[in-house]
Amino acid sequence: MIDLVNVSRLYHRGADEIHALERVSLHVERQRFVALMGPSGSGKSTLLNVLAGLDRPDSGDVTVANQRLNDLSEDELAAFRAHTVGFVFQFFNLIPVLSAVENVELPLLLTNLSRAERRQRAETALRVVGLADRGSHRPRELSGGEQQRVAIARSIVTDAELIVADEPTGDLDAKNAEEILSLLQTLRRDFGKTVVIVTHDPRAEKWVDEVIHLDKGVLLETRPGGAARAGVAG
Amino acid sequence: MKYLPLVIRNLGRNKIRSLLTGFAIAISIALVCILRTMPAGLDNIIARASGTTRISTHNEAGIVYSLPYAYLAKVRAVPGVSAAISWNWFGGAVDVTKGVEFANFAVDPDQLAQVYPDWNLPQSAFDDFAKYRNAALVNQATLDQQKWKVGDEVTLTSTVFPVSLTFKIVGAIPQQGNTTFYFQREYLAQALQDAGVNFDTTGMIWSRVDDPGRVGAVMAQIDELFHNSDAVTTSETESSFVGNFFSSIKQIVAIIQIVAGVVTLCIVFIAANTASMSIRERVGEIAILKAMGFRKQTIFATLLAEAGLLALVAGAAGALVAWGGLELLHSKFNAAQPGGMGALTSFVVSGTILVQAIFVSFFIGILSGWIPALGASRRSVAQTLREVF
Repeated sequence: MIDLVNVSRLYHRGADEIHALERVSLHVERQRFVALMGPSGSGKSTLLNVLAGLDRPDSGDVTVANQRLNDLSEDELAAFRAHTVGFVFQFFNLIPVLSAVENVELPLLLTNLSRAERRQRAETALRVVGLADRGSHRPRELSGGEQQRVAIARSIVTDAELIVADEPTGDLDAKNAEEILSLLQTLRRDFGKTVVIVTHDPRAEKWVDEVIHLDKGVLLETRPGGAARAGVAG
Repeated sequence: MKYLPLVIRNLGRNKIRSLLTGFAIAISIALVCILRTMPAGLDNIIARASGTTRISTHNEAGIVYSLPYAYLAKVRAVPGVSAAISWNWFGGAVDVTKGVEFANFAVDPDQLAQVYPDWNLPQSAFDDFAKYRNAALVNQATLDQQKWKVGDEVTLTSTVFPVSLTFKIVGAIPQQGNTTFYFQREYLAQALQDAGVNFDTTGMIWSRVDDPGRVGAVMAQIDELFHNSDAVTTSETESSFVGNFFSSIKQIVAIIQIVAGVVTLCIVFIAANTASMSIRERVGEIAILKAMGFRKQTIFATLLAEAGLLALVAGAAGALVAWGGLELLHSKFNAAQPGGMGALTSFVVSGTILVQAIFVSFFIGILSGWIPALGASRRSVAQTLREVF
């Protein structure tokens, strides 16, 4: 599903050069739940952005879902993200003036589906995340955990193969964090999604198939997560 | 069109800000609409007040300087002049403490009907005017203003001559838009003679030319006639005369139009500032939309549509308010006092002005939203995500 070969990413901050990623090579199979972990500034968010087609590496090859992202133009990358990647962010990032179902419907505006079809799919996605009865609520009327579920529904509504989540539990209490991780695991197990998350949350380890550790832009180790050890991988 | 609900929802994000910006645009567009009525309104006034084959001859030094009354006979003798009359400003007031409320002139009755066929008065009214020495022909607007009617006797005290004269109204000039009052020159001449005042001048001479194609030649011939006299004349067509009378007003209107343009430009900056603030608050959301796969062109178009839609709706409302306001003003004043609006009825927000206003509004919106929308659409997603979250 994901192949990164010798990927490097360099940032310039004033006169300083920051090596966010240094010759990172990585392979993630389809239908895996992977956690990118490491201290702040280790390059895990940069790695997530690169493999999701949000950022371009300075060198190295990035291939996701059989598409070599290095070759794609800005518009092609946008189309790639629209069709292949679903995004979940730490602060949910729902549009406050839209209801839950309208937020979920947003990515479908990029398709040729009719209004009725878009609405139907959005409601289905909300049902998957257990919020079928909360579709008409605005984000401010939902709890943090519910908002993150809406964000997850939004990420799966286009039937994207790859779900990427940047600190999806970072703004949630323990109970909600567990529920979100469980939901992501369900997406992998029952819906065949490949899920990559960036997290500081040690609780995530037991839910994922694979943990990838980074530090200072370097991939230190890849090891099985709790789900793999427990044989959850289906 | 599928993005329209999103655009509308985003406009409602900060209702107070959207309303205030909308009000600013609406008021400025309403003002621009009203100011835009002025050039056409003044032209309309000039057109209504003038005839194409009527010419005015007055002292070259200006209309406040008089001409010898003897010039009238010489003008009447010029080939091509079918009729001519003299005009003297009487400056009569019903109540001198209120000043002159309407224009009143002493004129020659014998050729009045030929010089002013466009008054559409029955010949009997002209005949009565010529027949009775104290007769007066009064514009309907003046009658309405003073609550007079045909048959009334009215007294005017001159602010120019040391006399008060009592007139009998024998006819109402139906032409709207002017408050005027005409009476016989002879009546004034006799009163002045009784008062020991010599009266052998005229303020100006109005002539009718029989052939519209010869108006220019006749004017040149009249002025040539008095070229070497003590009172050199200038002749001009009525439209030119009225136009010159209004020329200073037109210059003021031109200045007002420039000010209106500057106001519009200021509104662009205000709207741009609002658009900029609104977009800056949403850079994170915009980055999320781009992450989802929204192309920068789509982001740019939806942000521009927000600014354009707000300005369009506000501008259209402002234009309609200007149109409705003037129409209401016309109807209210005319209901209370028929003809009382006078020349103001010439100022109308036409369909052309409405369309122009709507285009200008949309242009304001597009112009104000362009730079902020472009900046937001071009911003790197990864960089924004790093900076904002």
